[in-house]
Amino acid sequence: MEKLTGLITANYSTKYPSVLSESRPVASMPYLGRYRVIDFALSNMVNCGIRTVGLIMPYNYRSLIDHVGSGRDWDLNRKKGGLFILPGSAFGTSRTGSRFLLRDLEHNKVFLERSKSDLVVISSASFVYNMDYSEVVDAHRKSGADVTVITKTATKKDVDVTGFNVDGTRVKGVKHGVVFGDTAFIDCFVVGREFLLQMLEWYKATDYLDLFEAMAGDYGRVNVQSYDYKGYVAAIFNKDAYFESNMDLLDPQTTEELFPKGRTIRTKAHDNAPAKFETGSRVTNSRVSGSCRIYGSVSNSILGRSVIVESGATVNNSIVMQSCVIKAGARVENAIVDRNNVVPAGTELRGTPDALLIKEKAAE
Amino acid sequence: MSKKECIAMLLAGGQGSRLGVLTKDVAKPAVSFGGKYRIIDFALSNCANSGIDTVGVLTQYRPYLLHSYLGTGGAWNLDESDGGVSILPPYATQTGGAWYAGTADAVTQNIGFIEQNDPEYVLILSGDQLYSMDYQAMLENHKRHEADLTVAVMPVPWEEASRFGIITQDEDERIVKFTEKPNKPDSNLASMGIYIFNAKLLVDTLNADAVDNTSEHDFGNDIIPKLLADGKRLYTYEYNGFWRDVGTISSYHETSMDLLGANPDFDLFDVKAPIMSNASTRPPAYVGANGSIDDCLVGNGCRIYGKAVHSILSTDSFVGERAIVEDSVLLPGASVKAGAHVVRAILGENSIVEEDVVLGSVDQTRDTAVIGNDVVVGKGEE
Repeated sequence: MEKLTGLITANYSTKYPSVLSESRPVASMPYLGRYRVIDFALSNMVNCGIRTVGLIMPYNYRSLIDHVGSGRDWDLNRKKGGLFILPGSAFGTSRTGSRFLLRDLEHNKVFLERSKSDLVVISSASFVYNMDYSEVVDAHRKSGADVTVITKTATKKDVDVTGFNVDGTRVKGVKHGVVFGDTAFIDCFVVGREFLLQMLEWYKATDYLDLFEAMAGDYGRVNVQSYDYKGYVAAIFNKDAYFESNMDLLDPQTTEELFPKGRTIRTKAHDNAPAKFETGSRVTNSRVSGSCRIYGSVSNSILGRSVIVESGATVNNSIVMQSCVIKAGARVENAIVDRNNVVPAGTELRGTPDALLIKEKAAE
Repeated sequence: MSKKECIAMLLAGGQGSRLGVLTKDVAKPAVSFGGKYRIIDFALSNCANSGIDTVGVLTQYRPYLLHSYLGTGGAWNLDESDGGVSILPPYATQTGGAWYAGTADAVTQNIGFIEQNDPEYVLILSGDQLYSMDYQAMLENHKRHEADLTVAVMPVPWEEASRFGIITQDEDERIVKFTEKPNKPDSNLASMGIYIFNAKLLVDTLNADAVDNTSEHDFGNDIIPKLLADGKRLYTYEYNGFWRDVGTISSYHETSMDLLGANPDFDLFDVKAPIMSNASTRPPAYVGANGSIDDCLVGNGCRIYGKAVHSILSTDSFVGERAIVEDSVLLPGASVKAGAHVVRAILGENSIVEEDVVLGSVDQTRDTAVIGNDVVVGKGEE
């Protein structure tokens, strides 16, 4: 019998309007050239042996369906179990601290009722990390907790991350936003399947709330334990955090933590050629994806698939997404350039380190 | 099972012994090539790009990596419930079993696969050639000529013609003569070892060949001369693109280098007929602050801190600080540690060249240096 079922709540859009998020939910934000943010939640589940995953969809689901398809790239196209595309409520949520909207869980109760697993691993699709969930599942079973939340000691202020008030590992309360040293929730928890169904009954009347908000008065009677994760974690709630966490992956140590051998972050496969670095190109401290062609200069940047940097063009401190062309002599600096943009010859796209320039997705 | 117009039989059992240590553990079609591919990707992608959705892959030598790489065929869009990729290794029957004794024998032993699919035409392919061809165009040609057999041919330099099976044709492209490796070639059209047979004729001919004690059971040596002697309608299909059989270390090295330069002979970036592969998912390549790359193909997962010139750096390969890699091919996972210098070399999968080791020579008259898969080259061992 399969012991674990996975559930991913992707019905979340960032509350900070940005041209990057206009066309897509956070779950399908392109990440590090070739990935999407959802890849981490999906891969973490699959890599710990979960083979039944429910995916609660956002209303603007086109890009997400395009990406996950039948789930094949995550081994989730299965005769038994596999990927279940589940409906999310209209407009989902973009509220602070609300990635586990009760309404969305309640609407998909059937998925939980039909499951034969004793435990459910539930995750949002807004965090980037690579964790072996079997550790936390073991801890959950050993401690006898009702709910085990995965947490990380906050290293900076973040108003969008949920924090927990804890006594040792016992969760006593929940709050919006964290500051340095707080116990930050990384939006993933383990819960007994039947206990979860029980909680959905309890909180039926307040289904507009987040599960952990609804529990506010119950942290005394419900045994919620925190499990501290030590590895690299990035929360993708706004454009600056998005930019910063991409840039974190220019550090070899961080890369090792996020992409260790043996725990692959899987993503939709494309048939790209290797990247081609032409004579005269100059690339330093950068990541370059498949099918890129580099003739010019690239530094401190991340290039998505099939980006062309022409001769004499420079890209510095920027994220350039799939299929963009930086024409001869053009200059891109401190910018996030979304898909399919052509930066004309001799022109500039320049922000400052404190005010990144964001260029919206262009037509194909 | 619905009737298929044309199925492919892909010969992938070859040992490729002239590739030396590169084929010590893997069959030649499974040898890594071009930064992220394996040699068999080219034939499989041609099938998929030509709309041929039923492919029997005949394997024999060192099949494990090849079999796991093929999987369900999904990587080449060939996971069809009615067709797709079928792996056909030698098998035993009530009367015993035998290795594939020749190219024709391999297909003879799998006549059952042809009969099960009951196609009009059978396309015979090699799993160890690099080229991009539209088999559908070749099939149209075959039908137009009402041919019994069509052989794909390409013009080769006259001075090299005696290395190939040479075909002489009349003005209607009908084959009048076929000579294996002629001393004095009277044509420069070489057979590429790619054939389209009328299925019934193929089955009948192979059955007759199987009981012929004088036959070596080879398409080039036995089957084609036999059909020609019988007066069958044999035609050519001329191909004029990039085609290589990377049979030796030096041709492997040369062909790899042909992928580089500003206008390479073979375009891996062709979006109309993409080369598909069952590649591992790794993060984009990283180039360090002191990295320098000039005219290289670089796969995902690479970490380049040193200098790479005119080389192929396959998936997950590593070039350390102060290291130099020139005119070389690093196969997946190969590492060139700090300060090492690698010139005109092929480094096997997951091989390691330790710090400050110097390997290979710029001297073009010397052989390409080759390091086998998983081999570690330490100081003093070069």
